[in-house]
Amino acid sequence: MNAPETLTIDAEPRRRLVASRWSPGGWPMGLRLGAALALLLLGASLLLPLLLGVDPMVTDLGRRLAAPGQQGFILGSDQLGRDILARILAGLNWSLAVAAVSTALAALIGVVLGLLAADRPGLLRTVINQLVDMVLSFPGLVIAIVVIAVLGHGFWPLVLTLGVLSWPVFARVVYAEARSVLAEDYVLAARLLGTSRLRVLLGHVLPGLTPSLMVMLAFHFADMMIAESALSFLGVGAPLGTASLGNMLSESRQYLFVAPYMMLLPAAAIVLAVVAANLIGDGLAAAGRRGRTYAHDGSDKA
Amino acid sequence: MKALVSTVGRRLASLVLLLVVLTTLLFFLLRVTADQALVLAGPEASAEQVAAIRAQYGLDRPLLTQYVSYLGDLLRLDFGTSIISGQPAIAEVRARIWATVALAIAGMMTTIAISIPLGAWLGARPHTGGRRTLAAFVFLLQGTPGFVVALLLVQLFAVQLKWLPFMGYGSFATWILPTLTLASFLAPKLTRVVAANVNSALAEDHIRTARANGAAFTEIYWRHALPNALLGATALIGTQFAFLLSGSVITEMIFGWPGIGTLLIRSIQSADFAVVQAVTIAIAIMVFVVNALTDASFRLLDPRLRRAGS
Repeated sequence: MNAPETLTIDAEPRRRLVASRWSPGGWPMGLRLGAALALLLLGASLLLPLLLGVDPMVTDLGRRLAAPGQQGFILGSDQLGRDILARILAGLNWSLAVAAVSTALAALIGVVLGLLAADRPGLLRTVINQLVDMVLSFPGLVIAIVVIAVLGHGFWPLVLTLGVLSWPVFARVVYAEARSVLAEDYVLAARLLGTSRLRVLLGHVLPGLTPSLMVMLAFHFADMMIAESALSFLGVGAPLGTASLGNMLSESRQYLFVAPYMMLLPAAAIVLAVVAANLIGDGLAAAGRRGRTYAHDGSDKA
Repeated sequence: MKALVSTVGRRLASLVLLLVVLTTLLFFLLRVTADQALVLAGPEASAEQVAAIRAQYGLDRPLLTQYVSYLGDLLRLDFGTSIISGQPAIAEVRARIWATVALAIAGMMTTIAISIPLGAWLGARPHTGGRRTLAAFVFLLQGTPGFVVALLLVQLFAVQLKWLPFMGYGSFATWILPTLTLASFLAPKLTRVVAANVNSALAEDHIRTARANGAAFTEIYWRHALPNALLGATALIGTQFAFLLSGSVITEMIFGWPGIGTLLIRSIQSADFAVVQAVTIAIAIMVFVVNALTDASFRLLDPRLRRAGS
């Protein structure tokens, strides 16, 4: 959940830099790999269920706990005889949607409050910064339980919990970066020319934050995938019985001896999705660094 | 000295503010989730019995009156009584906090012992074959949620090999799997940060100058690059430790660890609000103190910040 720090693994020759960093050919290896993996997972979770035509909720107690490949189940069946492949695809769908929407919500709140705090010194800044510290020290589990008690289990309670708990991550970075952009001469020039504060923020500050925002979105998405599965695992996330990766892992605990695949397969799905998002985040960070390196002719002291 | 006093004073003021807001929010939010009188009375209680319990615990007073008396109790360090055990809530927390703190320390030590040497080694020459493979493995592990690692460890060491106990708290063997779980969750990130820092420290101009002047790589590495890189890692170590103290709820739950994480879950489930409030306040204070100490040590360790003053 901290500012993304990355390990540079790109030792590609300099001529690579000439290629545009926005065309896939110029992307770092990791970014290409991550994007491919993300597309693969997204495509599979959307299209494969249609091809398979298996309902992830249908139980068949006569064919329970079948190993992968047995009794007509490609990846086996769970304790109620439900198809594990169909459940993983449905669970992936659910987790990706929760992670995407809660990341968007966190980014929205974080960017708005971060920009406000950077732009308005005084009371508003103090209040927002205190709020950031406060939310960061709030136990997430208690929030989740309260939200669920009020709104019930489901997609929106989960998204709300995750978004409301995690926006300070965005607010902190946006605040720090926006403050340094606001101190630039061109912002002062824009102000002297009579540009309104809102237009300065949206037209001059926000575009400057885009590269780091994109990196943060990718990493945050990965964090939200993990958090969603953890909350569902604890029974305060997805509605009980829903095909969600966290629920599947939680159910698998009682069958560790007889059916380890019930745990290993959904675990692999989570890991793949998180790794894809991390690869994209790393790749974007590397691409951003490299773009800067190129623009400043080799001296990256920004 | 004056600066120090004002820093500490500001910190304390914001801690007090944090606690006031936190306790207020908790008090009202928790009462939305469940009715303590119903929980206490049990499912078969009649309306009169519920009313009697309400009166006995003062739950029939207006919420605002209850809130004011709750705040008054807090000022006298009275966190209320657990409705489950009948013990003071603070005693429940005190009985379990050390299991959490000790596990957090064990997890953090293991993380540091793995990450710093590994990161320093990976960062020195990140592009060679073996290190690339290892870096890829670290990356994969970073994408693995902690409870997945816990389940995998249990599957391997407790179910398949039967070397270590499933769960429990006591002998040395019971510490291994929870500690490894926490370390596997934190170590990948720290390793990658140390490696990236070492790598970028080695690319600095003053390192190049030292090399040009004929200094040996090992000397540059140990004397200039590594200390700079570790400085940057201090902030992350602080954050990670604060995270561990906030009760690694899932790890504690999976391994049946008698810490404040399991206590929190159990008291939420049984609407034991006094204990939920006490645990939350304890966590908030611990996290706050660790963050403040991290900031302070940062200033102490980094000569640039020290000279800048304030």
